[in-house]
Amino acid sequence: MATLEFRNISHSYEYSFGKVKEKEKAEWVINDLNVVWEDGTANALLGPSGGGKTTMLNIISGLLKPTEGQVLIDGKDVTEFSPQERKIAQVFQFPVAYDTMNVYNNLAFPLRNRGYAKNKIDSKVHKISELLNLDEYLYEPAGSLNEGEKQKVSLGRGIIRDDIVAMLLDEPLTLIDPKLKNGLRRTLMKIQRELKLTMIYVTHDQHEALTFAEYVSILNAGTIIQSGSATELYDNPKQPFVGFFVGSPGMNFIDCSLSGGNLDCKGFTLDIGSFLEENGVKEEGEVKLGIRPESLMISKKQTETSVPFNIQVIENFGHYQIITVEGMKKRLKAKISSDIGVSIGERIFLSFPKDKIILFKQDKRIL
Amino acid sequence: MGIELKHVTKSFGRKKALDDISLEIEDGGFVCFLGPSDAGKSVLLRVMAGLEKVDSGKVFFDGKDVTKLSVRDRNVAMVYQDFINYPNMTVYENIASPLRVAKKYSKAEIEEKVHEVAELLNINKILRQKPDEISGGQRQRTAIARAMVKGAKYIFLDEPLANLDYKLREEFRTQLKETFSNREGAFVYATADPIDAMALSSHTGYLHGGKLLQYGDIDEVYNNPSYSMVGKYFSNPTMNLLNGKLNRGDKTIEVTRELKIDAGRFVDRLSNENYILGIRPKDIGFSDGPDKIEISGELMLSEIVGSETELHVDYNGQNIIVLEPDVIHYKYGSMLTLFLDKNKFFIFDANTKVLVAKTGGDKNGNA
Repeated sequence: MATLEFRNISHSYEYSFGKVKEKEKAEWVINDLNVVWEDGTANALLGPSGGGKTTMLNIISGLLKPTEGQVLIDGKDVTEFSPQERKIAQVFQFPVAYDTMNVYNNLAFPLRNRGYAKNKIDSKVHKISELLNLDEYLYEPAGSLNEGEKQKVSLGRGIIRDDIVAMLLDEPLTLIDPKLKNGLRRTLMKIQRELKLTMIYVTHDQHEALTFAEYVSILNAGTIIQSGSATELYDNPKQPFVGFFVGSPGMNFIDCSLSGGNLDCKGFTLDIGSFLEENGVKEEGEVKLGIRPESLMISKKQTETSVPFNIQVIENFGHYQIITVEGMKKRLKAKISSDIGVSIGERIFLSFPKDKIILFKQDKRIL
Repeated sequence: MGIELKHVTKSFGRKKALDDISLEIEDGGFVCFLGPSDAGKSVLLRVMAGLEKVDSGKVFFDGKDVTKLSVRDRNVAMVYQDFINYPNMTVYENIASPLRVAKKYSKAEIEEKVHEVAELLNINKILRQKPDEISGGQRQRTAIARAMVKGAKYIFLDEPLANLDYKLREEFRTQLKETFSNREGAFVYATADPIDAMALSSHTGYLHGGKLLQYGDIDEVYNNPSYSMVGKYFSNPTMNLLNGKLNRGDKTIEVTRELKIDAGRFVDRLSNENYILGIRPKDIGFSDGPDKIEISGELMLSEIVGSETELHVDYNGQNIIVLEPDVIHYKYGSMLTLFLDKNKFFIFDANTKVLVAKTGGDKNGNA
């Protein structure tokens, strides 16, 4: 139960390991991050591989000392503290459990090491195993469990100590059989809610991140681009990358130029003047239009404001279909009802509802 | 013209991997075999490709018996998960290698063929790169380009997307569908993911314990799953299956007092007492109407998948999944009132698991 904080954290493996002597020439995997993870919240770091997620986690837990900046727990600087002193549990992709020991002894191990009394150990082991639904395997060797159960054992070992304040999870479900993932995900969420631990969950999987966490930070190339709830990220992406990464399929983008209320999309023009005025947008010039595939409206007949496109690909998902269309050197995706009959090569008309249009200027949201 | 299997059986020791399989795949088709792991999907592909001998039965290509022909003489190619032949060679060299081995193409011909297929698969800009410098999706496309460049008529893909993250899957599916929509021969694809099957294929087959439970046109299988297992699997998220009892007196099948359906139209065909009612998550929602059944339950989990939200609701100890077409956050533990569409139920026999009627079928409840 603690608030975790990064103050101006930067990290370069090259510089820290002395491979590159000059800061300017070194490659920085994390750039001047300032983040606060509030006490008792469920958080996720989401982003493509190589974005710096695991590095961040290891800096929090103390496995890695940042090149620059401070790590704080409840306002106290712990940058120089060892992982043990930070009282943070960390779970990795691979379950960490002693295969030959039974589940009971695996869970008791961290407590015995710290000299807990026997009856105290016994009650803790039972409490944690119940929480994790491991009670029926308590006297089985950990090696006989499936990967999902084993991952629960590593989780239990991490959180069994009384003094644990936070839990870090580094892609804990990546290697777990898809059929076991659901159960394990529910267990994780239950633990977070019951123990009120501050949790940080690292994943490249948007489904896991958005399902698990109240606050998701999108990380790309060592920088947090945007943080917020799943709904905020989906509805109000602050950068094109977020619009693309959150939602499936991702947002469509069109390079346009904006002048006098007209959005010139190079091939067709959208009159959005009054809408810009309402929202107090004054910028002009080169912009990027963003619109979600589910926001595009399809019709078979041309109207005043609709734009013709040809259907290239149709993917039917049962209750909806995704069509990929081309026209005027643009390629867009639209999500439409399965009840609409469409065929490859067919010409259809798309309209762009004004209130669903998002505009970016130099990758920053302006509308 | 196409592939035909007649009564193909294959065992490994005592285990029947393929149990009397007969089917036809027409040229121009894209066929997905779906099913849990170990259902026999990979073996089926390997038998068609000639990588595995059959115990009994016959395989025909274009009417010609190829049962005894080896993989080399069948004009086929097999693509596995994230499979690159030569990690030290460039993408170009990887694609070109089957042509070089064939020793019948000039340098100029090879170059032309490689560029043609690379353009089709949208990897023409990375031909000079090495496999470890490109993304998982690009590696997968390189493997497919290699299979296509030698002009194989039938291409078999064994779970090609299993290791890709969701953004790459999304992109790759569209690409695959576009590439193969106007091509000779056929694509045969094995997957555990119903989304792949729905989005990509013209025909699909569901395997279960080495048996082909159903095979047919994609819409037919989706609308009339012949077994509850097929219905459950061929749906994303999975179809809800609820245990019900037939009440001959008032001609209903009853899950609970409030959740029951009218079986009047087809009660004569129901000879047992126990039935399974199947309803897809998309056919359950929050809006009332004349054809709706109202129930309420506690929200246990809400998952954000792509641009939709899956809600897991506990109803009388059964987990009911509801699909909402948006990214929404619901509070766990809250009571939700749900409306089930009366006309969207599938009725399966609880013993045989066979589809016996549909509430939305014709006047007799036939499919």
